[in-house]
Amino acid sequence: MLILTRKPGESVYIGDDIKVTLMEIKGNQVRVGVDAPSSVRIYREEIYLQILEENKSAALLSQDTKDLGEIATTWKKQKPTTLGKLKSDKGNTEKE
Amino acid sequence: MSSSAGNEILKVISTRFGEFDVNASSVITIPSGLIGFPGFSQFIILEYNQPFSWLHSLERSDLAFVVVNAAEFGDGYIFDLPLGDSDTDLREEDDVAVINLVSVRPAPQETTVNLKAPVVVNLRNMRGRQVVLDDHRFSMRFSLWAANEPQGEAKIAEPEKK
Repeated sequence: MLILTRKPGESVYIGDDIKVTLMEIKGNQVRVGVDAPSSVRIYREEIYLQILEENKSAALLSQDTKDLGEIATTWKKQKPTTLGKLKSDKGNTEKE
Repeated sequence: MSSSAGNEILKVISTRFGEFDVNASSVITIPSGLIGFPGFSQFIILEYNQPFSWLHSLERSDLAFVVVNAAEFGDGYIFDLPLGDSDTDLREEDDVAVINLVSVRPAPQETTVNLKAPVVVNLRNMRGRQVVLDDHRFSMRFSLWAANEPQGEAKIAEPEKK
C-alpha cells in the first residue's frame, strides 16, 4: 500500500481524473473529498461489502426458489402496508 | 442488414427455464454489472408472477435474481436518480424503471427486499446500473411482511403530521 502524508486541504491524484482531497480532521474522523468521473463507483467500504454479500446471497436464494407463485400469493393476501410510510420510517435501519 | 438490431432474436440458455428466445430490444445492459458479479452485463426481465419477476443473465445460465418493481413501494420510496451517469446516460426527461433485488427465504414471510441498492434502468436505451443509496431509511434487508406483525408495528415511527 502506498502511504502518503497530507495536510487538510491537500490532495492526491490517482491517474489523471481522480482527485482525493483531505478536507478536514475532527477528533478521530477524517473527511475525504473525491472528485472522479461518474463512471467511477465510490462506496464506503462497509456498505460496498454488505451489498456485495446481499447480492450474492440473493443470487443463491434465487437458485433455491422454485417459482414466484408463493411470494406472489403472499403479496396478494398480505400486501405490505408500511411501504408507503417509508418516508417517515426512521426506525427502519440496517439489520447488519 | 436491413433489419434493425431491435428486431434481432437472441437465444437464451437458462438452467431454470431451459432454452428460449428473446427480442434483443428487451435486453437490459448493465455495463458495470451487479455488485459482486462483474462481467455479467446482459440481462432480461422475465415476467413471471406480478409484482415479482426474474432478472436473468444472458451470459450465465444459472444467474438470475428475483426482483420486484419498485413502483409497488409507493411515494415513500423516493431518491435522486443518478443523472449524467455514464453507464445509463440518464437525463432528466428519461423514463426509468427501478427494480429491487428480493431475497426469497424458505418461509415466504421472511422475504426481504434490498431497498439500499436498486437497479435503475433507463428505458430510452435499456441501460442500467445498480446504485447505492446514501440514505439510512432504505434497508438492504427490508422485510416485506414482518412489518405487519404486531411486534414489527411497534418499531415504526408515527408518520409526520401534516
